Amino acid sequence: MVQHGGDEVAAVVIDIGSSTLRAGYAGDDTPKAIIPTYYGYRSQPPDADVAMGGTTGDHSSLKSTSKIAKMFVGQDGPSIYREGMEVGNPLKEGLIEDFNPITPLIRHALEDVMRINPTDHPILVTEPAWNTPANRERMAEIIFDEFNAPAFYIANTSVLNAFAAGKGSALVIDIGHSEASVTPVIDGFVLRKGLVHSSLPALVHQRAKHILTQANQNRRGINLLPHQLIANKAPVDPGVDPRFNVREDRLQGITKSWRNWAENREVDEWMHSIGSVLDQGWNEQAVAARGARQYEFPTGYNYYFGAERFEVGELFFMHPQHLQATNPNLPKPLPQLISASVTSCDPDIRQVLLSNVVLSGGGSLFSGLADRLNSELNRIFNHAKIHAPGNPAERRYGSWLGGSILASLGTFHQLWISKEEWQEHGRPIVGQRCK
Amino acid sequence: MASAADIRSVLSVPDPTPGSSQQPQKKPTATSKRPQGISRELYELIGDSVPSVVPQHSKARLKLKPNLGSGPPRSRWEWREFKNGARTDKLRLNHWVKAGTDPDAVYRFEHYNVVSNPYKYTDEEYAQLLEDPEWSREETDYLFKMIEDYDSRFLIVHDRYEFPGGVPRLLEDLKDRYYSICRKLVRSRPWNGDEVSRAKVLGLLSFEKERELTRKQYLRSLESRTPEQIAEEEALYLELKRLEQTERQFKKDRDDLLRTLLGVESGLSDIQLGDDSSLHGLSSMPEIKKSKKKTGSTMEIDSPSVATPSSSIMQAQKRIQTVKSAAYDAQHCITRTDVPQITATKSSHQAATLRSYKLPTPKQAMATKVAQTLLEYGVNSSRLVMPTRENLLHLESLIDATTLLLEAKKNVDRVEQDIRLMKAKVLRRDEQLGGGEGGEAPMDVDQEAVADDDDAGIQPGRGARKKNARRSMSVSSVDAAAQPGRSNKRQKQG
Ligand SMILES: Nc1ncnc2c1ncn2[C@@H]1O[C@H](COP(=O)(O)OP(=O)(O)O)[C@@H](O)[C@H]1O
Ligand SMILES: [Mg+2]
Repeated sequence: MVQHGGDEVAAVVIDIGSSTLRAGYAGDDTPKAIIPTYYGYRSQPPDADVAMGGTTGDHSSLKSTSKIAKMFVGQDGPSIYREGMEVGNPLKEGLIEDFNPITPLIRHALEDVMRINPTDHPILVTEPAWNTPANRERMAEIIFDEFNAPAFYIANTSVLNAFAAGKGSALVIDIGHSEASVTPVIDGFVLRKGLVHSSLPALVHQRAKHILTQANQNRRGINLLPHQLIANKAPVDPGVDPRFNVREDRLQGITKSWRNWAENREVDEWMHSIGSVLDQGWNEQAVAARGARQYEFPTGYNYYFGAERFEVGELFFMHPQHLQATNPNLPKPLPQLISASVTSCDPDIRQVLLSNVVLSGGGSLFSGLADRLNSELNRIFNHAKIHAPGNPAERRYGSWLGGSILASLGTFHQLWISKEEWQEHGRPIVGQRCK
Repeated sequence: MASAADIRSVLSVPDPTPGSSQQPQKKPTATSKRPQGISRELYELIGDSVPSVVPQHSKARLKLKPNLGSGPPRSRWEWREFKNGARTDKLRLNHWVKAGTDPDAVYRFEHYNVVSNPYKYTDEEYAQLLEDPEWSREETDYLFKMIEDYDSRFLIVHDRYEFPGGVPRLLEDLKDRYYSICRKLVRSRPWNGDEVSRAKVLGLLSFEKERELTRKQYLRSLESRTPEQIAEEEALYLELKRLEQTERQFKKDRDDLLRTLLGVESGLSDIQLGDDSSLHGLSSMPEIKKSKKKTGSTMEIDSPSVATPSSSIMQAQKRIQTVKSAAYDAQHCITRTDVPQITATKSSHQAATLRSYKLPTPKQAMATKVAQTLLEYGVNSSRLVMPTRENLLHLESLIDATTLLLEAKKNVDRVEQDIRLMKAKVLRRDEQLGGGEGGEAPMDVDQEAVADDDDAGIQPGRGARKKNARRSMSVSSVDAAAQPGRSNKRQKQG
């Protein structure tokens, strides 16, 4: 590694996304800890609460003023049924909105999963390009004051995605859990005037849920009950009403937020498994040629999904007329985001950006999306070249990976904000150092 | 931090690369004896004809323990604090280093921390020289601070530029202000160097705002062309090419005609085998089309508008360099080529290339042989460590010489073969004359005919014969050239 300019100082990289929080050692190629950003919580402590205490990494010592009495984070957090448990997410539109759960989440990832002592490790945290100064300063405060880390740095996910692709200048398209963003990066700096983002993935998700739960001429609306609520089920033929028994004991204890979270998970599963997008735009013949695919839900209901599974992906690129008519403020689809971003850049660098398009984020793993994006880009611009890593981990954890590369570079270590500097200069140092 | 070799040295495991350890050397002797996994009785029965796949038993594998004892000495690494001189505070981070290295050594990455020292002006200088009605002192200070913060990356500076209460500025405004100030400072301050270097620095700082603005304007209009416009442009371009080609063809035909009619008196050079220009024109047509498709239209202009923002700077630099002495060039291995004034047509435009792309290549037919021969002498003909102009010339002459050599050798071989054949024939004829039987003669002829057919290409006698025939034909046609009626045939042949 000497020849690559690496010098590892056991730094830890934390990438907080809307879906998962990724943490791991700088220099590794995948994060060691991947925990959901969603967390379960109870407002009042129920009388008999003993279960899963140690293993789930609950942090009842929350000193905040919020009404949360008990938190369940990590892999065994929201996904386990608990009576009266609500599910929350500290992020909204990619930004941290509620800082209270952030400390327990990070603590769980570092101390319970990675089993490290944060005071020994410099910590690099990522932020989206549209983060606010107040937010990043708050993050510095958490890392220094609550985790006592010796050094801290906050880096931009778009820049890190470009680094992970081995580029200093790139047009980064990051499709995350709730936000899709297009960011021009030049020499490792974000061009803020060219930054555009929209909550396109959230829209696609909503639409998918709508399609599934709504009845149409071929089938009834689908019940998205999660497996936690199903006692037993019997196999049924495709399209036939499912035969299953609900766990009545649990049905009483669930909250609306948990049910919503669980149903969204089912929708996500469905989208990951059979959702797809055509590579050359909507075309009935192509849909027919690709065929229908079977999918079974936890209730045992199964069905061959044909056009529906392509309809969802189409939303990334084009909004159907009827949707647009009813709500005019729909998040812009990808081609529009990209042209908006590119045209707001200086004409001299457009070519550089277009020949270095980096596709990243978990949402970009949506089947067929990279090919479709390629054909759309080449329709708008004369020559665009997309860099989309074939390795799914590299795309899903692109921003973490870029952070891992950055924080293991020998030349980077002069940029850390040290605890000493933090104590001396306070919050403004964050903005000065992390440009 | 540690490479594979480092890890091996920590565990004192020997290097597994073939050749460096004893294991691979043992192997061949083992297979030439009785292979593992075959019983002695069986081996005696089947002998050397061992099946190609030998059963591998895990027993043999178990013996392959890492050799921990006798390898190279184990090296120790330590988790140690280090001081980074590029930092202004006392932060000490830890990293792994080989034990025994100097703890006070300068941090390896410290010297990458280059600080640029940008231009700064004093209050006096500002008052005397730098006042500008469009710019306040505060905003100028802000601009210079930004340029220092972002290491003169104007794109970023412009992106982040937010002067409270200021008017919106174009990227060109910022550059113009900055460079004009720098130029004024260089001019007004005492210069401790010669005028040439001063002019050079001034040239580097030159910036023409109007020109840049029009250039960007052109770029924008180029990008906003409709597909129809692009298609039309492309069609026009192809049309132009076609016209050029027909013109060339016409000229060639005329020259040929003149040559046929007047011979040497026409004053034209002798006829060339395969007219280069026409061939080039033909073959470059589809190529251009293809490259056009690929690169699209934004890069299609041969005007300075595709150049980087620094193009004006480079031009200024060039102007100054002409002043400079040739001695400097020679010392620094710089060769200057004359750049053609205007590049009117696409085909005459030459893109910038590395000289290593211009490596001379031997004739297609001889290429591999030449390369082989050169390789025998330890010369790699496809790569030059230093492709300077001189080296290229050397290589070219070397390749020419080798080609000549090989051709000569081929001729020698052929002649020798001819001689041998002839001798054999003579010998045979002598034998026949000296009392051979009549029955053998026809058979002999047959054999030769068969051989002749089999490897016609190799048969030296035949090739030579053919050549002769062709030569005589061309001679006859030259003779006939005086007769206008037969000129057509000759042209086709050419
Ligand atoms: N194979 C897949 N197909 C489609 N979407 C996927 C796939 N894998 C992950 N995703 C989606 O990617 C999103 C997570 O992406 P990520 O970049 O981690 O988001 P964030 O950074 O906002 O946490 C989730 O919404 C998930 O549904
Ligand atoms: Mg993300």
